[in-house]
Amino acid sequence: MAATTTSTNETPAASSSQPSASSSQPNATSSQPSQKSMSKAERRELQEKQRAAKLAQKQQPQTGDTPNKPKAKPKTDSAQRRGSGAAEKTQSSGVDASAMDIETATNKSRSLRIFSHFGLTKHGHGVKGDIHPCIIRLALQFSEFRICGANARCIATLTAFKTVIQDYTTPPNNTLSRHLMTHLSPQITHLVSARPMSVTMGNAIRQLKLEISGSDIDMPEQDAKDLLCQKIDDYIRDRIIIADEVIQDLACKKIKDGDVILTYARSSVVEKVLLSAYKEGKRFSVIAIDSRPLLEGKALLQALTSAPPVSWTLSRDSLLPPPPPIPCTYALLPALPSLITEATTVILGAHSLHSNGAVFSRAGTALVAMMAKQHSVPVLVCCETYKFSEGVMLDGFGKNELAPSHLFQTSAQTPNLEILNPLYDLTPPSSITAVVTEVGLIPPSSISSIPMALGRITL
Amino acid sequence: MTSEPANTPTQRAVENLAWKLRRRQIVGSRATALETLLVLRQVISKSRFSSMEQLVTIIRAVGRRLVEAQPKEHSVGNTVRKVLHHIREEYHTATKGTAIESSSGFSISKFVLLGQPRKQSAPAKAESKGTLKENDPDDPDSFARSLKPVLMEAIQDVLDELETVYDNVSKSAPNHIHSDEIILTLGMSKTVEHFLISAAHNRNYTVMVLETAPSYGGRDMAKTLAAAGISTFLVPDSSLFGLMSRVNKVILGAHAILANGGMFAITGSLLAATAAHEHCTPVVVCAGQFKLTPLWNLYHEYGALDFSDPSQVLGFEEGSLVDKVDVVNPFYDYVQPNLIDAFITNDGDHPPTSIYRLIKETYDDEDNEL
Amino acid sequence: MDICATYERKLQDEQISPPLAAILSLSELCATSNAGTMFELVKALNEGADSLRRNSSNPISLNAGCELFIAFVTLFPHDSVPSASFSELKMELVKQGETYVRQALTYRSKIAELGVDFIKDDSVILTHSYSRVVMETLMLAHQRSKRISVFVTEARPRGLGVKTAEALTAVGIPCTVILDSAVAYAMEKVDFVLVGSEAVVESGGLINAIGSLNIAIIAKAANKPFYALAESYKFHRLFPLSQYDLPSHNPRILSFPTPIEKDRTAEKTLSSASPNFRSASGALSSTTQEEIAKNNPDVDYTRPDLISLVFSDVGSLTPSGVSQYLVGMFH
Repeated sequence: MAATTTSTNETPAASSSQPSASSSQPNATSSQPSQKSMSKAERRELQEKQRAAKLAQKQQPQTGDTPNKPKAKPKTDSAQRRGSGAAEKTQSSGVDASAMDIETATNKSRSLRIFSHFGLTKHGHGVKGDIHPCIIRLALQFSEFRICGANARCIATLTAFKTVIQDYTTPPNNTLSRHLMTHLSPQITHLVSARPMSVTMGNAIRQLKLEISGSDIDMPEQDAKDLLCQKIDDYIRDRIIIADEVIQDLACKKIKDGDVILTYARSSVVEKVLLSAYKEGKRFSVIAIDSRPLLEGKALLQALTSAPPVSWTLSRDSLLPPPPPIPCTYALLPALPSLITEATTVILGAHSLHSNGAVFSRAGTALVAMMAKQHSVPVLVCCETYKFSEGVMLDGFGKNELAPSHLFQTSAQTPNLEILNPLYDLTPPSSITAVVTEVGLIPPSSISSIPMALGRITL
Repeated sequence: MTSEPANTPTQRAVENLAWKLRRRQIVGSRATALETLLVLRQVISKSRFSSMEQLVTIIRAVGRRLVEAQPKEHSVGNTVRKVLHHIREEYHTATKGTAIESSSGFSISKFVLLGQPRKQSAPAKAESKGTLKENDPDDPDSFARSLKPVLMEAIQDVLDELETVYDNVSKSAPNHIHSDEIILTLGMSKTVEHFLISAAHNRNYTVMVLETAPSYGGRDMAKTLAAAGISTFLVPDSSLFGLMSRVNKVILGAHAILANGGMFAITGSLLAATAAHEHCTPVVVCAGQFKLTPLWNLYHEYGALDFSDPSQVLGFEEGSLVDKVDVVNPFYDYVQPNLIDAFITNDGDHPPTSIYRLIKETYDDEDNEL
Repeated sequence: MDICATYERKLQDEQISPPLAAILSLSELCATSNAGTMFELVKALNEGADSLRRNSSNPISLNAGCELFIAFVTLFPHDSVPSASFSELKMELVKQGETYVRQALTYRSKIAELGVDFIKDDSVILTHSYSRVVMETLMLAHQRSKRISVFVTEARPRGLGVKTAEALTAVGIPCTVILDSAVAYAMEKVDFVLVGSEAVVESGGLINAIGSLNIAIIAKAANKPFYALAESYKFHRLFPLSQYDLPSHNPRILSFPTPIEKDRTAEKTLSSASPNFRSASGALSSTTQEEIAKNNPDVDYTRPDLISLVFSDVGSLTPSGVSQYLVGMFH
């Protein structure tokens, strides 16, 4: 598929859907140039080509041709994505356009407004200025789910910012503490255009902003940049790496010989907990529950089954054979009720944690916690304190993110049929026994009383 | 194995069906019920019997053969039970007046049994067609000859019921689905499909279909519904909890409805019903009455149910994982009665608590074990 | 004729439970009564039932038997015995009563047959106090070589759980007596709860030895099935609205002692008890087991929503099935 044909094909389609989109989309009030929606759609079209190089070139010219885009905002954006998915399958631009016409027509008649906010990407303040290549690469990795997971995304973002900061020079007649943030903002906006920002990234960036504005004006620029990078490293180390280690220790104590641990999808913390319990010589088995669209549980299984074999150990003058690998059972979500009866403990990960104790996590987590509660199996949620988010969340439906259909779509488009792949859901605090944080095991209701949770400590 | 030579066409038909059932060449409750019924009709029309007892024995033997071939397909046994019930009813109507009432007085145990739910005795349909002579030594076929026409009629009734089952279940659809509602369903159930499509004639509503891994029957369901003009969303199973807060009603299909008001249904149903319960969303089950099964869920867990192919869950493309990991793929869920709000059947809507009475009315107790 | 003495005599038989003893006593009353009409007979029977009730501390289950027999007598068709005099009719009723009791004795094994299907190999069962029908079911499961293990509650104040444990251990079923207060602790390990019953009532609920309600609530909270076993002669036309609506409830139960009374009893123990005894048990001497039991109920009422299934000789019934059954029987 040639890049030019798709993009030309896309423009009329997008404009044809303008009226309905703008009428059915009261949310799309702001009319910033949405170069990113265009560039995103394009990037997907161009997947097979060398994206990074192309995009780097395109970044500038695209800002020029945005004027007619802003009206074709989020809803059409998602329509475009679906359309492009169909295009990839049919390889025919005509079918593509007609499919999209039907799409928009049905959208209008259906008027299912309650889903209209799904797939809305956050829009920043126009992408101007240079986007650092490492941010562009990162944005691609985000949008293709090659870097996925709250911790991984936060670490990757902070690491990329270190490069950005190091490559930054304060323009004349400006100070680093005032200007650096204006330099970082478009970078952040670009990242957000690739995939909505995670709570962890938001918390880390807020900290970074504080640090930048607080940096000493009199310090030589290089020293200030080094200091900032040092602070970033400290943040990653203290709030994520060491926090994870403490969580591992705490959660391991709750795993006993003969336990059956049930977990859902893949959380980096949970994976570490299980592996470290195994290394401590605990004999337990794991039930991994998984579900589309991401099927992340397979990665967890891979990690658990390829756990480095512990070698023969010498204990009281006798050589002990290495323990057998962790016995794992794998099943998809619908089979959960059949397996929950066998579990002794459920350990889950989290995307973010809210002050009412609700856990925002991978879609499906709430179901696992609900079934566990029904069968009185204790539910532990492993979550670093930097994942806490101020504010109360009542419903996983209001704020959510859709998995991009081009990555996870399985069937061709049909009229009247829409495919939604929400990525998150909200587990109510009532179905969580305890949250394992680096400050200890706490009941979900007490989260708001932990000062560290609110990210108010300095880097 | 009983090694009766399959010499007569009737026996061959029975063996043929048993074989198909065992090989799972016939799946789906209604298809199996229909096939069973056709075989039974053949058996009754071809076999020789000179008394009621003989006839019942013959049918039971056939029933046992078929049920053993596929014990998980409850509609086979149900159909046999239903036919037996109808045969007895016809027999009683036919012999009314001629056979001596066997009530040998009134006793306390009989009095206790008054509580037993029974269908109000139906008025005699037709004038008794001559006197039935059982075990007539002179003409052993006379009993069969005089009874067969009524029996065929009775079987035709059951057949008609099976054939119209979807239409009759769908009749009340507009009473249950209202405009602008969001309905959640899962898997591929013909009954639910007909129900939803028939509701769409009168109502404008939205359906969310769960994909229902690993069979992904929901995808076919979503396509069919969308093709029928219903606005349809196909969502992964994981989104169930998040969406439930916006769903007005959960509509499920059933594999078998059990005597306590619970049911066997495709995996994922229990999860959906539990999530609905958590959100106080009504759960409605659409099913034909041939799914009523005089069984209790003996063990409240999946061990008693069926498993299907694990490669659906973890395919061989994951080669390195497959041999290191146990993969579980249960086929049915047991959904407890307290999670179900209503059963919509081809014979009216019923709460789970009435199922026990319905079963008592539909089948005779002595047939529970064929 | 002293109906209460007859009743006591009938109860001597280990197999005869209170409702059956009541039926036998009433049918004997039929035989000895000099009633000349049906109306007089029913009146006599009602009086007999009343005196039985008065003389029993816990009239619920015997009442179920009385109720069944009297309802049967009133509905008994006069013409079923051809050309009968009234005395012959009475003899027929006596015969019916005796026949029924003989039949009823087979009900337990019938119930055991039904219940045993629900007992899976390797299951852990919690039972309460001592019940003949539960014992029969567990024994049958054991005979069918199902490996079961049983927790039984001590069931204070009568402590009948110990009797259950002894009988089960004797045949080789692993059995542990647990404190009544340890039910919640043990519940996680239990697969299901199996209890007998004094009576099954019109709401579909259950009346059984005190403590059953606790077990049912805990089982519900832990999502464990709660099965009850009940012979059909225990079906009782009663609709308790609460614990205090049971016929067995009286003002003495759960009453608070008045402070003055307490002082007096304390004084009494002070004066009567030897100094040695006092120092050993101190003020606790007034609160002996019997003392506590006196102010406590013997039975409680378990609501239908807590019961998974009721097994009876007329089939396995859901609580609503029981209720429908009772409605069909008496209305």
